Amino acid sequence: MPFWQWLENTSWARFADDNLRVATGFEIVHYFSMFLLVGSIVMIDLRLMGLVARRRTIGEVSSEFFPLMWIGMALNFFSGFVMFAGDATTFAPNWVFHIKLSVILLAVIFGVIVQFQARKWGKDECTPIPKWGKALALISLLLWVGSILAAVEVPSLTNVG
Amino acid sequence: MIVPSEGVVNFCNWLQNTPYALAIAGSTWAYPFVQTTHFTGLSIWLGTSLAVDFRLLGWLGKTQKPSELAKSLFVWNWIGFTIAVIGGVSLFSTDAVAFARNPAVQFKLLLFFPLALIVHIFVQRRTMRSWGAGDVIPRSAKLAGLAEFLLWLSVASAAANIPYFERFL
Repeated sequence: MPFWQWLENTSWARFADDNLRVATGFEIVHYFSMFLLVGSIVMIDLRLMGLVARRRTIGEVSSEFFPLMWIGMALNFFSGFVMFAGDATTFAPNWVFHIKLSVILLAVIFGVIVQFQARKWGKDECTPIPKWGKALALISLLLWVGSILAAVEVPSLTNVG
Repeated sequence: MIVPSEGVVNFCNWLQNTPYALAIAGSTWAYPFVQTTHFTGLSIWLGTSLAVDFRLLGWLGKTQKPSELAKSLFVWNWIGFTIAVIGGVSLFSTDAVAFARNPAVQFKLLLFFPLALIVHIFVQRRTMRSWGAGDVIPRSAKLAGLAEFLLWLSVASAAANIPYFERFL
């Protein structure tokens, strides 16, 4: 707990949390970047599953959406960390928040695997995507939707946030 | 803040007392699921819309022409919109009278959202037909793409401010 107390009382965390306009600003960035992040990875996952932009190659779809996904992720994690820091002693012991972070970690791991595989499959468009590749995309998609669900459950189940 | 007319209040009152709205509002699990539906729809809607805007602005991969990108994302763009609207209407119905009186909701639904939607339809149609077909993207297309991005950002800003106007609820 002393570490979370120290983090919560740092000058920048207090500034971001106590100032209503700044706090709202971080919230807007957090939500908007989440839409960019999840929207991008969902499009790549749907392409791998053969449900979107079938006339376009996986390489083309990946080159358009992966940069958007990583920009969204960077902004989302940065704004999320600042929002967490302002209320660290409340969030840190919260069990639903732990589930949220675990699901996000899994989603990021699967997102990285999807990107690695999409690059591989994008090089050779003649090779069809194997069934396990489509299953991988489906798991990634479900994990990102699950991360949204876990995020909205934090205030719903524990009144925190 | 606009004071809703008696007719609007009566409609909202009826809406929030429908079995559907009462079921969502009264359940610990249903509300977060509806929120997740709304956010997932928004992610698909905004992810596909902003991809085209950023392509017009030259901020995104240039492997495809904007017109091809807009055409390939068209169906999922509107699927995302439909999911977001279903989720949004469901969320609104749980506390419709209070939401109708909330200035942030009024800004979102009566100003920014209709404006953003009109600009989106305009940008999408023009990109698919003429703007995105050539090698050079006209300046007007870039401006329209930027306007759409800023308008969706305004919608999100209004939405983020909804809890701060709870004193009106």
